[in-house]
Amino acid sequence: MVVGSVSSGCQVVVIGAGPGGYVAALRLAQLGKDVILVEKSPRLGGVCLNVGCIPSKALIHAADLAYEVQHGGAMGLSVESLSVDLPKLVKWKDGIVERLTGGVEFLCSKNGVEVVHGSARFLTDRSLQVSSDDGQFEIQFEQAVIATGSSAMQLPNLPFDGERVIGSTEALSLQAVPKRMVVVGAGYIGLELGTVYAKLGSEVTVVEFLPEIVPGLDRDVAKALQRRLKKLKIKLMLNHRAESFDDGDDPSLVVTGPDGDEIRIPADVVMMSVGRIPRTKDLGLAEIGVETDDKGFINVNEKQQATAPGIYAIGDVVGGALLAHKAYQEAKVAAEVIAGEPAAFDNVTIPAVIYTDPEVAWAGLTEAEAVEQGYEIVTGRFDFKASGRAMTLDATDGFIKAIADAGTKQLLGVVAVGRGVSELMGEATLALEMGAFLEDIGLTIHPHPTMSEAFQEAVEAALGKAVHQVNK
Amino acid sequence: MAFVFNFPDVGEGIHEGRVVEWLVAEGAVVAEDQPLLKVETDKAVVELPSPKAGTVLKLHVPSDSVIEVGDALVTIGAEGESLPVDGEAKDGPALVAVPPPEQTPPPSRTGRRPLATPKTRSLARKLGVDLAMVKGSGSAGRITDEDVERAASAPSAPISVPAPKAAPAGVTASTVDGEVERVPLTHLRKVIAGAMRTSKQTSAHVTHVEEADVTELFAHYRSVKTEVESKGGRFTLLPFFIKALVTVLKDYPIFNATVDEEAAEILLKKYYNIGIAVDTPEGLIVPVIKGADGKDMLQLADEITDLAGRARERKLGLDELKGGTCTITNIGPLGGVFATPIINQPELAIIGLHKIQDRPVVVDGEIVVRKMMYLSISFDHRWIDGAEGARFMTDLVGLISKPGLLMARL
Repeated sequence: MVVGSVSSGCQVVVIGAGPGGYVAALRLAQLGKDVILVEKSPRLGGVCLNVGCIPSKALIHAADLAYEVQHGGAMGLSVESLSVDLPKLVKWKDGIVERLTGGVEFLCSKNGVEVVHGSARFLTDRSLQVSSDDGQFEIQFEQAVIATGSSAMQLPNLPFDGERVIGSTEALSLQAVPKRMVVVGAGYIGLELGTVYAKLGSEVTVVEFLPEIVPGLDRDVAKALQRRLKKLKIKLMLNHRAESFDDGDDPSLVVTGPDGDEIRIPADVVMMSVGRIPRTKDLGLAEIGVETDDKGFINVNEKQQATAPGIYAIGDVVGGALLAHKAYQEAKVAAEVIAGEPAAFDNVTIPAVIYTDPEVAWAGLTEAEAVEQGYEIVTGRFDFKASGRAMTLDATDGFIKAIADAGTKQLLGVVAVGRGVSELMGEATLALEMGAFLEDIGLTIHPHPTMSEAFQEAVEAALGKAVHQVNK
Repeated sequence: MAFVFNFPDVGEGIHEGRVVEWLVAEGAVVAEDQPLLKVETDKAVVELPSPKAGTVLKLHVPSDSVIEVGDALVTIGAEGESLPVDGEAKDGPALVAVPPPEQTPPPSRTGRRPLATPKTRSLARKLGVDLAMVKGSGSAGRITDEDVERAASAPSAPISVPAPKAAPAGVTASTVDGEVERVPLTHLRKVIAGAMRTSKQTSAHVTHVEEADVTELFAHYRSVKTEVESKGGRFTLLPFFIKALVTVLKDYPIFNATVDEEAAEILLKKYYNIGIAVDTPEGLIVPVIKGADGKDMLQLADEITDLAGRARERKLGLDELKGGTCTITNIGPLGGVFATPIINQPELAIIGLHKIQDRPVVVDGEIVVRKMMYLSISFDHRWIDGAEGARFMTDLVGLISKPGLLMARL
């Protein structure tokens, strides 16, 4: 198919080449389907690879290094003066992004997935129009997978201007470290990037409308994280509502405090991270009978089928946890269902990670959720201050907590806050999917010295037989 | 205001059916009680009437699809009303209850669920097994692959779960052993299979066979047949057997009963509804003659002709297939010496009528040719002893062998 031709056909068209879309396209091709992958932007990989997970983690790692070398005094390390060449750092990050997006292109071409660039709009439930600068053409299909993802929400009173008021995308490519940065929204994106710039030298203030950070987060975890944010000199203003940006001689964000008082926070850059909205508006969904909820997320069943026959939706655009690994799994389910296999999204849990300092991660039910679902629970906790490995990493903040059914002792959930706890979630999630009991984990040898030993210790604490801490 | 008509609970024990055909199209104006569609249920093909007058806005299920009680079938609006086309209007209260076709609601991704590993869960989907219905044999009730495989092949596996699409049905495929044709099971076949399996698992079947000399009965029947049929209709021997059966059932009420095991009680029926097994091209159907004790033989003959005819056309109403108290299966015309019929649950006995044949028998020391037949009875030995079965059959055969005796009891 060439761009500019009037029409073409395929078995399955996938709209959006993010983690959901490209995985769906690859799996469909592996299953013998003739696939066209439509992507609006010139680069594949979606938000995750281009302006999300990957670039942010690159900056986070660099910021961590910069911070640590300046705080190694107790270990006898000192640096005379650390310089941060932000353009060079951004270039390094861009190199990673290019490698990964190039990898996706390579996989598409090797698997016979045809990639076209342009924005898609459904004409009927069996055809769509792709528009780009080169013109318009039509694609006819048998099934379609919608994987258009989500984008940053903008507040009408604080529209992005690309320089002073920015979104996370721009925050990943700043050319200089702002002296004063205000982050609006204490969700995971705001906290991650706020931490990056605090470590690179910005004075960071986080403004949050709600009385808590990251709604639904385990209370003990939130407490530990807030303590650390304070140590990093990040100012947290809960119960404060962002009103407007005053771009005068003394640029500041105007906020309303809990008592209705107006406060001006000096800011060179304001980064907005107040939520994400699904990209469903211009797809022509209503015309083909694809229903969305009141926020615009597409309604699907466990086979990822939308409300119109032959139309599937995956990833951020269907709501729930807006996470790449959720999209991966949904993509595989949709592809296999299309290929006639009896797949369904029946996972026990979707683990989640926040790359703050320290990292926050969880899988399964939190204590509050377990109680809400009627479980009588037992918990066990291990604090990293008692972990040999954490001490050697000079990272003793945080803990890991196991939550289990008090009667059966089946593991229900794991929450953790601490250095590198993101890497502990693979084991926790496997345990949950396998339906593990506390004893299964307690009787499993964990390598020493690692952070993962803490999981075993937490589980043994829940069983009342911890060795490296005093049992309650 | 649009109204969604869900598949109603049309009768005892019926929870699923198949849409045979739609009798109306989208856009059609329907009157109250006008038939909307034909549904094949466990027992019959029934027409579902429209509960109200209006315009058919949407048919929610295509023909040939399997439906469960409560599934949305059709949306009926006021005359002239149309389905809103734009997305916003769809959120209107009238249509909120309409589930999308062939959709299940978005899954709850948390909450309690059967204890099974991802591999086992995948296997269950492949084999169409609902894990919620499987008892796990592993530690703490964990469901193993073997449990799933057992559930998939077990007789209690729900037949409504669609099998994975291995190969399109009705297609001949080559295997190493030769050609195999895949023929889809009809709904009726699945229902019969379920009923037979349940009966065999439920009752302690025992079959008792007795011989009857029907020479006199046959002569008597011959002598009246022409005259009776001259007034129209068809007259067979079956009404004689029904009358004889009802007479003996009155003497032995346990054969016209069901058992409520939970309450530990026998329910002796004081009415005599005799099921007649009818062989149809699609399979066995058992219409019921209600109140057989109160009908004369001519009425019975007419009713048998009518019910059997409509059974073959699949036009029986559900109420004509329910409520039997004892069943007759007339296998004789098809050949065979005798058979061991399976009890029609929840009844306790079924009587088989076998071939009438001229046979040499000894009467008063002489070998003579008589019209002979075997009658069999399968009964539930849990509640009826063998001696009782023998007595029952002796009396039944007595009435059949001596039509005069039967007359005396009518």
